[in-house]
Amino acid sequence: MTVWREAVGTPAARVEGPAKVTGRAGYTYDRPVTDPAYAFPVQATIARGRVASIDSAAAAGVEGVLAVVTHRDAARLADTGDAELAVLQSDEVGFRGQFVGVVVAETPQAARYAAGLVRVEYEQRPHDTELRADRPGLYAPEQVNGGFVSDTDEGDVDAAMEAAAVTVDRAYTTPMEFNSPMEPHVSVAVWDPGERAPGGGFAEGARLTLFDSTQGPHVVRSTLAQVFGLPPERVRVISPYVGGGFGSKGMPHAHNVLAALAAWAVPGRPVKLALTRQQMFALAGHRTPTIQRVRLGAGADGRLTAVAHEVVEHTSAIKEFAEQTAVGARMMYAAPNRRTSHRLAALDVPVPSWMRAPGEAPGFFALEVAMDELAQACGLDPIELRARNDPEVDPESGRPWSGRHLVRCLREGAARFGWAERTAPGTRLVGRELVGLGVAASTYPYYRLPGSRAVVEYEGGGRYTVRIGAADIGTGAWTALTQIAADALGCRLRAVRVEIGDSDLPAATVAGGSSGTTSWGSAVVAACRAFRHVYGEQPPAGAEAGADMPDDPDAERFAMHSFGAQFAEVRVDADTGEVRVPRMLGVFSVGRVVNPRTARSQFIGGMTMGLSMALHERGVLDHRTGHVINHDLAEYHIATHADVVDVDAVWLDEEDVHAGPLGARGIGEIGIVGAAAAIANAVHNATGVRVRDLPITPDVLLR
Amino acid sequence: MDFLRPATWEDALAMKAARPDATPIQGGTDVMVEINLDKGRPTALLDLNPVAELSRWSWTAGPAPMLRVGAGVTYTRLIAELGGWLPGLAQASRTVGSPQIRNRGTLVGNLGAASPAGDGHPPLLASGALVEAESVRGTRLIPIGEFYMGVKRNALEGDELIRAVHVPPAAGPQCFAKVGTRNAMVIAVCSFAVALDLRARRAGTGIGSAAPTPRRAHAAEEFLAGELDWDGAGPVDPALARRFGELVAEAAAPIDDVRGRADYRRHALAVMARRALGWAWAEREV
Amino acid sequence: MRVNVHVNGEPMVADDVWEGESLLYVLRERLGLPGAKNACEQGECGSCTVYLDGITVCACLVAAGQAEGREVVTVEGLSEGRARRRGGAHDRNPRPDPDADGVAGPRLDRLDEVQRCFVEAGAVQCGFCTPGLVVQAHSLIASASRVPEDAEIREALAGNLCRCTGYEKILDAVRLAAARVHARAAAEDARTVPGGADD
Repeated sequence: MTVWREAVGTPAARVEGPAKVTGRAGYTYDRPVTDPAYAFPVQATIARGRVASIDSAAAAGVEGVLAVVTHRDAARLADTGDAELAVLQSDEVGFRGQFVGVVVAETPQAARYAAGLVRVEYEQRPHDTELRADRPGLYAPEQVNGGFVSDTDEGDVDAAMEAAAVTVDRAYTTPMEFNSPMEPHVSVAVWDPGERAPGGGFAEGARLTLFDSTQGPHVVRSTLAQVFGLPPERVRVISPYVGGGFGSKGMPHAHNVLAALAAWAVPGRPVKLALTRQQMFALAGHRTPTIQRVRLGAGADGRLTAVAHEVVEHTSAIKEFAEQTAVGARMMYAAPNRRTSHRLAALDVPVPSWMRAPGEAPGFFALEVAMDELAQACGLDPIELRARNDPEVDPESGRPWSGRHLVRCLREGAARFGWAERTAPGTRLVGRELVGLGVAASTYPYYRLPGSRAVVEYEGGGRYTVRIGAADIGTGAWTALTQIAADALGCRLRAVRVEIGDSDLPAATVAGGSSGTTSWGSAVVAACRAFRHVYGEQPPAGAEAGADMPDDPDAERFAMHSFGAQFAEVRVDADTGEVRVPRMLGVFSVGRVVNPRTARSQFIGGMTMGLSMALHERGVLDHRTGHVINHDLAEYHIATHADVVDVDAVWLDEEDVHAGPLGARGIGEIGIVGAAAAIANAVHNATGVRVRDLPITPDVLLR
Repeated sequence: MDFLRPATWEDALAMKAARPDATPIQGGTDVMVEINLDKGRPTALLDLNPVAELSRWSWTAGPAPMLRVGAGVTYTRLIAELGGWLPGLAQASRTVGSPQIRNRGTLVGNLGAASPAGDGHPPLLASGALVEAESVRGTRLIPIGEFYMGVKRNALEGDELIRAVHVPPAAGPQCFAKVGTRNAMVIAVCSFAVALDLRARRAGTGIGSAAPTPRRAHAAEEFLAGELDWDGAGPVDPALARRFGELVAEAAAPIDDVRGRADYRRHALAVMARRALGWAWAEREV
Repeated sequence: MRVNVHVNGEPMVADDVWEGESLLYVLRERLGLPGAKNACEQGECGSCTVYLDGITVCACLVAAGQAEGREVVTVEGLSEGRARRRGGAHDRNPRPDPDADGVAGPRLDRLDEVQRCFVEAGAVQCGFCTPGLVVQAHSLIASASRVPEDAEIREALAGNLCRCTGYEKILDAVRLAAARVHARAAAEDARTVPGGADD
């Protein structure tokens, strides 16, 4: 067993920090390629129908334009099974903003201008973009994201609700939300064409290099290889620096394919494609809006007898993505009667996808506001209510917890936050501001994804290189892996260099599900141990050893989740309803923390995104056109520096002995879970107004 | 696209006369957004940066001198250099965009764009400013209340440029208030400015983001002129302040949009007007 | 058109500039300085913040022609003479610097104080907003006669959006840098002003 003492657990500074603060870190669009051409997409202006005709003559005549590619002349893809990625393969339009063409030109300005000159006539069909709980055609997906079943039903919720002394039965909604990483989605495609196949297909000899801003170079490689019908070794994806993703760069999107198709159309030229901020709102994924019914039944003492969480959400008609919004309610609280379900409306909307803590983030807004309502109905302190319903084993699987410390987090947070000062709703007026405190519980599952491999090489001179095709999207994984390798090799931090961000490096799973450090870290530990096993402490220069991530038998025997307690203070202007959040505190139980410096930033960043979700973020779909009206950062608001006053995160000093060699459960997403509920609950405590629909805007507090 | 670089004001007027299609650009904080997002490319840009005199301010001659704020004076400089004379305008300027935007953006650019949400408009209306528009044909001073013609439309002729805006120095306390959903970088849900003239015993008002154009609340101004106890000590009578707020809200013609509902805008305007009056009046006491 | 502009102390020339082009595009695509980032194109995010004649601006909202004959300083120009021209901007796979306690890339002592404090305080995550924030924070500290209050820092940085950090560590970095810069200035004053050391 490795002794984690030198590096793991210390606040090592980010290894790529100096490159980033000096502007030297080369993000995808920054990387020089020889003689590039520039692509700019043409997007559908209808939400559903087909392209009837395209007149690209004016666009083709613009000086500097090299090619205008549409469904009529785009190269044929080998696999069009994924409709999101079947770019320019047919005349069908499935949502507004979908690609219907692309212009390639010598300059981005020429490409953009010419794209505006492409005249597309449509045969429009009626579209439907509006999510309602009572709409016909709702269906249960075969499974929801994460591989979970859509519905669960245990006991008799209806009977339990009938019999319960205290009940809550309410609907909660969350809007369409957008990941909005600061770096827009960028792909730069370079073809080595090989022999061109007759008919313009992709020949056996063709080779594609894609510089891409992605959370998983290997995922992009394997997906694109399939789409283009190339063996995976003929696709290379390079992506060392990624300017944030939050899930939106977790799976390949249409722009990856478009960049490659555009480059195929101009042989010998690399093609650079950067989505604009506005285009991202149709093409880079989003979080589905949700309509959630939560029913809680309890005895007068607050002990739950029934928990039901039933969710209606949307997916795109062209591709199913089912967010697992109700899954968290299956394991969170003890109750003999439990029901969860997911119903989807397949709408003519852009394709939804992962956004930080898919499932838990919207789901725990509803569940944890409902718990606050139950506490109020029972006359119980919300922390006490949660303590009374803390299950001893996972109610879903019956397995023991690998470590469930929710109540400790709540109590620790209450002491730190000054929870005892909380007064009855609507009773604390300071000047013209109503002040309130709120709490919510948080959780996120432990995921360790199979499929990663690491290789260690001794370079001589006391230096080691560790290679793994992982991605650091700002999480600090690069630094954490360096720390893990240093301890596993028993050498100093400075002796280790970690190479990531390239599909030519050993396979690695996606930076998603808060699984990166645990999955890749386990592979790195295994590789370091293998290296020492073969070469001992005195390896020859050039010595190399690798290992796959080992299996995780405990994951089958224990219920493994992280937990947290979120606290918020709000101040509401009694006359205008404006809400400010002067203080937030998160207390988390996540197993071992590999790097306190980068971890704290992850927690605080997640909580701030939760604050943003609570007060600001709402994509507004115009149902007449299917267009996201507020599709830029001027109108789709995310929290600014001035909105965040004092957000702090602490964690329990612990390790989870069942969570792999590191004892860590992952930290990237739990920070957002429950944060919006804590703020909504604080708003209720301040004003007496119960807000069940996000975001919390001033007008609803004046009703 | 042409890029025109006049060295002097006379050159600028001549170029604008020859090219009425040219879009004047000063700080670029509106014009460049339109170009970057490709919302129609101007046929020519008329860069006014090189015209040095535009970045100066001065006092007008005559018995009631006004501050003549050149078209190139940025928000940052307005706040730092003119805040003592134009407190309401400075207060509004502080809420414009970010420091980077205030470092480049200008009050006159705000007038050129004539967005109903521009933060500079309400205090200009409350102060009774004049827009100095000029062409090779001559100069005219347009009262600010006649300058706004519609959403993003103003009273300028095709050959005219705004050389400066003339603003009377404060003759009493002034206050600007704005409701937004973020603490910074926010387009106003609605905004309000009041300027008290203690000598003339009247009040000016300006409403932003609550009608197709920025506008005054005339009835509210008349009400204050007649009903406010201008000699009185102590705070404003709460009933009077509330009535003032109601009259301001009645003067608005808001709509529902992404930023807010019409009824909320009316409510918030009444609150802001009541408070702004109270704050301004309290300042008089000091 | 041709645009002549001083960037990071060097005269530079960009040819064939389109009249509607932004200063940001010229810096990134024509002058090989990709430090300033393009993230919104409309002045909402601050990722493209640079100095123009000593004042911070969003480079995406400055028409290239408006920079003619003027002085621009980018994030690349803040650390002494590094990464100013083509080819310097593409570090990959950093190794912890043997001289800098596990920190890679340029050595910490070669960075500007603000840059150094961003690394030390953990104010960097994905790094895409970082260059703009560093320049804006640099300007705040350079123009203030004292260590700014927290509220002033938040206000000064309100136009620089960050989606990763939650801003808290950025605030720490700016506080730290301001304290160090002002302490150093005070020490220098004490040395140069006669009798100053006794005050």
